[in-house]
Amino acid sequence: MARDLPVEDPLVRMQRDLKRALQKNPKDLKWGMVIDIAKCIGCHACTIGCVAENKLPPGVVYRVVLEEETGRYPYVGRRFVPRPCLHCQNPPCTKACPVTATWQTEQGVVIVDYNRCIGCRYCLVACPYAARTSDFGEWYTAETAELPGKLYGQKAAANGYEAHPAAEYGRKWPDRDHDSPVGNARKCHFCLHRLKVGMLPACTTSCVGRATIFGDRTDPNSLVYETIGSPRVFVLKEELGTRPSVYYLK
Amino acid sequence: MITKKWEKNLIILTIIGLVVGSWGMYQRLAHGHLAMNYGSFVPWGLWVAFDLFFLGLTAGAFLITVLTYVFRIKLLADLGPLAVFTVLVTLMCEVIIISLDLGHPWRVYRFLLSPNIGSMLFWLVVFITSMWIIYVPWLYFLLREQLVAWGNDETRPGHKIYRFLALGKTAYTDQERQRDSRRSRFLSYISLPIGLIFFGAHGAIFAILHNRPIWNSAMLPLIFIVAAMLSGGALITFLAYLYQPSDELIQPLGRVILLTLLSFLFLEGLQLFVGYQSKITGIVTSLDLITIGPYWWAFWIVHFLIGSLIPAYLLIRYPENSKMVAVACFIIMVTFLSVRLNYLIPDMAVYKLEGLQNTFYHQRLRPEYVPNLNEWLVSVWVISLGLLTFLLGTRWLPVIQAGKGEEQPV
Repeated sequence: MARDLPVEDPLVRMQRDLKRALQKNPKDLKWGMVIDIAKCIGCHACTIGCVAENKLPPGVVYRVVLEEETGRYPYVGRRFVPRPCLHCQNPPCTKACPVTATWQTEQGVVIVDYNRCIGCRYCLVACPYAARTSDFGEWYTAETAELPGKLYGQKAAANGYEAHPAAEYGRKWPDRDHDSPVGNARKCHFCLHRLKVGMLPACTTSCVGRATIFGDRTDPNSLVYETIGSPRVFVLKEELGTRPSVYYLK
Repeated sequence: MITKKWEKNLIILTIIGLVVGSWGMYQRLAHGHLAMNYGSFVPWGLWVAFDLFFLGLTAGAFLITVLTYVFRIKLLADLGPLAVFTVLVTLMCEVIIISLDLGHPWRVYRFLLSPNIGSMLFWLVVFITSMWIIYVPWLYFLLREQLVAWGNDETRPGHKIYRFLALGKTAYTDQERQRDSRRSRFLSYISLPIGLIFFGAHGAIFAILHNRPIWNSAMLPLIFIVAAMLSGGALITFLAYLYQPSDELIQPLGRVILLTLLSFLFLEGLQLFVGYQSKITGIVTSLDLITIGPYWWAFWIVHFLIGSLIPAYLLIRYPENSKMVAVACFIIMVTFLSVRLNYLIPDMAVYKLEGLQNTFYHQRLRPEYVPNLNEWLVSVWVISLGLLTFLLGTRWLPVIQAGKGEEQPV
């Protein structure tokens, strides 16, 4: 029985893998993710962690958890399929963008340049996984009453949180108004700003079931490399030939 | 034929349209896309449908310009300058409405600074720009003789403006006439391949997306071309009835429209047949949304009954009656928006992944899309602007008077 228990928390190993990956030449590493569906309990902590980390406004979501019912009564079950951007190695979205505002980095991460994006939303239409959302400029505090001079009015509430965008891509963005990222296509970027400082993506650290495994998929010693080799591995919509960097375990 | 009274009433109507629509424009300009109903699962809505609608109207006018100046069909000669002008007006509407649909319209310079030549959308912008580059000087060369004449006519109100537009010219020699004619013909030859690719490229934007159930088909660009020819041809026939009412012109155009309508219905039927027979869930679900979904009436009543069967009946029953032909064309033209919406929305309204509807509740993350009042008001504003430009253009520019076509090959 004791042998079945993990000898160390996968997060500790992933952290070690990350440290090793960051010491490599950036050109030689490729980020990847494996999501073990058998371990996902559908708590949506990854969704919330991502929303909090990136201060996502209403209607913008990078990582959702799909819920599927399986079997037939009385043998029914439920499974949960978290869906971040799959960072396809053959991404349809980057080909669609008319102004090269989205592309794949050398590390295999599909990113968006907010200052270049014209907001045509063609990439949203082109993505087979609905992994992109558009920022229409919504506010959580839009319906909050304004109480001038009070600490709890709409403006004060907004200033306390959502008026100041998160430092996505490691950059400081202007206060939320009409400027980018409002009007842009937005998507999961594997928390590049966290990786840069040696932290795992928010969805990975917030996963209570340790169902999300992240790391350098070219490093044979990494946990992500090991799990990609599992016979249980599959990718979403394989028939489209998009070759996602996010794999799933049945 | 359009009378002065009708023209005046239409101008008043467009001004009312501009005033009413300005509320939607204010919402769009002041609050961006916040006041609109489209979201991330149905990212393209009414304005993209209108873009396709205007594209269709452009195509019909384009067809007439090509038939007049490339193939030199004498019958259509009088319509030439009017058709060239119509191309520019409909292109203007298309550009305005699609710019309003962009999240950051002021960044269009990005098409020059960081173009992605692998993107169909980039090529569409290239072809739209090319159409402007071709059609603006073309119209000028066609009108120049009349502009010079109007500039010389000191009794004509605004004759100084016409002289300015004629670049100060007071005389127009035979040599200049021949030179302008050569230039027009040259531009018409270029417009043929550019125009055809332009209309096909619109369909290709949708057809190349291999994750889309009913768009992803080699037939789609062809359907788009035929659809464009049908709606645009209907517009031009209707305009011909208003501005150049001649049975010799309207009746053959009516026969062409009938043939195009039947071809379009055949292609549409083929698409439904192949789609349903494939029995692929995504395709069948999308087609079901068109035929038996909540907006079934847009397909069966607006498009099929009113927009197809009734015009087909009128065109078959009264082929010799120009008024009936014009009525049939008008009905086809105005109901064609339902075709554009039916091509656009149902495909996007089908979930790409099973269970996506239960993941995250927000109005922007729903597949149900119905254009809201602001979207309609902006559309009314753009249509009114286009119609007003057209009416004032035909009134203040010699697009009717210059309609002598190319009956004299150079």
